[in-house]
Amino acid sequence: MNAIIETRNLVKRYGKLEAVSNLNLIVPEGAIYGFVGPNGAGKTTTMRILTTLMRPTSGEAYVAGYEVTRDPRNVRRAIGYMPDFFGVYDDMRVWEYLDFFAACYDIPERERATLVDDLLELVDLTHRKNDMVDKLSRGMKQRLCLARTLAHDPQVLILDEPASGLDPRARIEIRELLVELANMGKTVFFSSHILSDVSEICTHIGIIEAGQMVAQGSMEEMRRQLMPHREIKITFLTVEDRERAKGLIGSIDGVDDVVEIEASEKGRPRLKIIFTGEDEGVALMSQRLSTAGIAIVGFSEEERSLEALFMRVTKGLVT
Amino acid sequence: MTADPISRNRRTLKERLFGNPMVIKELRGRMRGARAFIVLTIYLGLMSIFLTLIYALYAQSMAFSGSGQGGEIGRVLFYSIVGVELFLVTFIAPAFAAGTISGERERQTYDLLRTTLLPARALVGGKLFATLSYILLLLLAAIPLQSIAFLFGGVSEIELILSFVVLLSTAVLLASVGVFFSALTRRTLSASVLSYAFALLTVLILPIGLMILGPVIGSLTSTYGATAGSVEAAMYYIIGLFLATNPLGTLYGTLQLLADRQVAGVFDVTLQNGAVIKLVSPWIVFVIFTLIVTVVLLAIAVRRVDRIEES
Repeated sequence: MNAIIETRNLVKRYGKLEAVSNLNLIVPEGAIYGFVGPNGAGKTTTMRILTTLMRPTSGEAYVAGYEVTRDPRNVRRAIGYMPDFFGVYDDMRVWEYLDFFAACYDIPERERATLVDDLLELVDLTHRKNDMVDKLSRGMKQRLCLARTLAHDPQVLILDEPASGLDPRARIEIRELLVELANMGKTVFFSSHILSDVSEICTHIGIIEAGQMVAQGSMEEMRRQLMPHREIKITFLTVEDRERAKGLIGSIDGVDDVVEIEASEKGRPRLKIIFTGEDEGVALMSQRLSTAGIAIVGFSEEERSLEALFMRVTKGLVT
Repeated sequence: MTADPISRNRRTLKERLFGNPMVIKELRGRMRGARAFIVLTIYLGLMSIFLTLIYALYAQSMAFSGSGQGGEIGRVLFYSIVGVELFLVTFIAPAFAAGTISGERERQTYDLLRTTLLPARALVGGKLFATLSYILLLLLAAIPLQSIAFLFGGVSEIELILSFVVLLSTAVLLASVGVFFSALTRRTLSASVLSYAFALLTVLILPIGLMILGPVIGSLTSTYGATAGSVEAAMYYIIGLFLATNPLGTLYGTLQLLADRQVAGVFDVTLQNGAVIKLVSPWIVFVIFTLIVTVVLLAIAVRRVDRIEES
């Protein structure tokens, strides 16, 4: 997969403060990339550099193959940018707002009316077409802004905290829209400090802290890299069942160790399996146990949540 | 989906002005609802009341002194309106222009615009054109009122046209200064303060300074002029140039020339030593001055908007 966004040793200094230090970001084409980090970690600064709004102190940044400071116009053509504030003109109607930005992207007048209708339909605002922008709710304004970023059919969407400040329903709607856009073939690069948003829809993630990238890659890679083995806990009905299971499981590829652990709350015998294989191995385990007629009360894998991963790689530093 | 570079360059002036998204957006906003028309109605209403008052006062004083001609009252009415309009332009142009670009910053839409393909020159030019359109509307709307002066006679069409040109140039000058400061400062407040300072300087302080300095230079000229023709000629040029850097001096000089010598273009002046030098009517110099200042300021503003910021 080609990288559609790439930075090489990107540095941004404000006086003595280094907001971004030697950042090497790689966003593959077609990815939904979650850029995660605490507030003040350098997410917005990075995005402002990528969107040609700010000049980096040193290093290079490429979007769709164009360097951001040398070829800003081509970069702008390739990106749709949504900042972490609304940026709406209150004295405009919803359709005028979209029409204005479409015109700013050189889209001819005769194509704009259809385009505006399509965009409004995509973000589900057709019924508010003739309303003034300031009459919209926060969630609707956010969807309108998202529609604006799509006016010129860009390859990449760069969205700064698209879900912040929204109520749960609006947040889910935005999330679903992002998935839909990715299905349309767009690369979605968005920042967030809310991990659940990221873990549910992202294909790739990058964790930034104090201006530095502490971990980056596809969700699978990240899981593997940061948690080299999986832990599966099985609760049996009887001790006899447990003893039979030991032999059956121990021979499966990828099982490193089988250990007896303290009984469950109800006093049932339990086993912990340290496993480094793929999902097929896990399936095989449960299959063998059931074919052998072993009575199982519980079968669970320790949750390798993004929270755990996040806590492991970050140190709580904020510049 | 985007226009190719060749067709972009072939755009006509009309397309450049009215196809500019910024112009359409600004004019839509400005003329939305009843507000714009109410403002225009109030403006014309006040203007009419003012004109009636001037007429009443003048007619009364004429009746009292038993003298006066129709032509004189026509001129008084005409100059009063031009004066009010100049005052109006001085106040409105900076007010409209100073908020144009800094307002985008304050509304946080500036970054959005800069990530679009809208060129910086279209942004700055569009803001200026939209500001001027409304002022132009106000000036044009007052022409019928100015024309009442024709009923009394004493005012020629050329006076009407030239005063309009000077008023329009003033609007262009002050609006470009406003847009310039708006592009350079972060806040509308500071842009407004700087724009009004400039407006005050050109419209009020320069003419007052000229009124004080004029006689001094004049007496110097009569003292030394006879001995050195070049000094006298230089004095004429300097006074003429000063006169033409501000609208009040320009209007005064231009209309005075029309009344005294019936010239609106180039004319001859005979110096005390008998040499003849050529001078031009102040409005020509003022228009050229306005154009130069406008082009320079807008070029700086465009560069400023086009630049990728350091922070």
